[in-house]
Amino acid sequence: MNRPLAWTPEEFERSDLAGAYLWSLPRFEARAERRFGLPTVPGLRDVPREARSLIVLGGGTRIDEAKLWRRDERADLRLVAIPSLWGSGAEASPIVALTRAGKKHIVVDPELVPDVRVVWPELADDLPLWRARDACGDVWAHAIEGFFSPLASGELQEELAGIVRRLASLPLGKDARWFEAGARACAAQARASVGLVHGIAHVLEGVLEGVDRERPFGHARLCATFLWPVLALDRSVSRELDAGLASHGLEASLVLEPARALFDEGAYARALPALEAHWRAILRDPCTRTNGALVRPGHLAFFLERRFR
Amino acid sequence: MSNLEQLKQLILDTFLLDPSEFRLDLRREEVETWDSLGVVSLAVGVHETFGYHFTPEEATGLESVQDVVRILESKGIPFHE
Repeated sequence: MNRPLAWTPEEFERSDLAGAYLWSLPRFEARAERRFGLPTVPGLRDVPREARSLIVLGGGTRIDEAKLWRRDERADLRLVAIPSLWGSGAEASPIVALTRAGKKHIVVDPELVPDVRVVWPELADDLPLWRARDACGDVWAHAIEGFFSPLASGELQEELAGIVRRLASLPLGKDARWFEAGARACAAQARASVGLVHGIAHVLEGVLEGVDRERPFGHARLCATFLWPVLALDRSVSRELDAGLASHGLEASLVLEPARALFDEGAYARALPALEAHWRAILRDPCTRTNGALVRPGHLAFFLERRFR
Repeated sequence: MSNLEQLKQLILDTFLLDPSEFRLDLRREEVETWDSLGVVSLAVGVHETFGYHFTPEEATGLESVQDVVRILESKGIPFHE
């Protein structure tokens, strides 16, 4: 079977839910209980031995926790992932990215892919607009960095070009169609690699935690903030990137315009000192090292001097 | 900048080395960052700098900086005047 199967909530409701337990973000728990009538568990250790399915509802971190736990502790369970937000693509990918002791740890294993992912569009109803836009930045970063990855085959680039066209047709904001587009972008990118945008996000999300209580500097916000500057750097270093887009029928403006629209000067200014202080760690990050253009120590000046403007 | 100087800068930048660490006979096992991801970065950098795409066999078969020079010279990119 091709994992994960993509279901609507109605298809999920019609499936065999005997022995299914729900592990949900607390703010969605009551709603999910009402809709699906499933017993909930407060933590993964509370999943009973007789359970046959685990339904995880939440963001990328919660889904990744469930993926890793299922692989290591309960490989017999069916895992159904219901993302509360688009962006991470955790519900569709063989990758787990979890922060342990302030450092990002990445595990890649086909066994991590959930069996089923469910798009529940209504979960986006209460999203703040800024969170939705940041999540769009995460999706765009997956698609673009996957496309430019030196590990992407021509066939994968063609698939990602189709995804890029789809993303370009969606508004940057609250629109439930991003759930499906985001899952596809992440699943495709996982067959190649990401790049400097993700290298920056992985290093700085721990560093900047707590800096902005109103609008936290999480992974998605950092992706949205650095997508345009990194794209500008990549294009200044390598002309191959535009040629690669053109060879798949894509205008550079198709990716540059949304990247520029997502850019937030205020967030950039606040993150810049951390970028400078942690540049060496960013250069050593595995994602940075598979960027579409070689990232050199001297490229820090490109960001500090805002040469992308 | 000569091809050799460009290669030296590329090696330093790719593997995050100090200038004093560069030698033509520098071997892969001496460089912590010359791992599988380092191979990818080096291949990207060689293409950007010299316009040559390593084949996967060439990239994974590199054992020293001298190997990079040897392959590029065989493609008509001179390092010795």
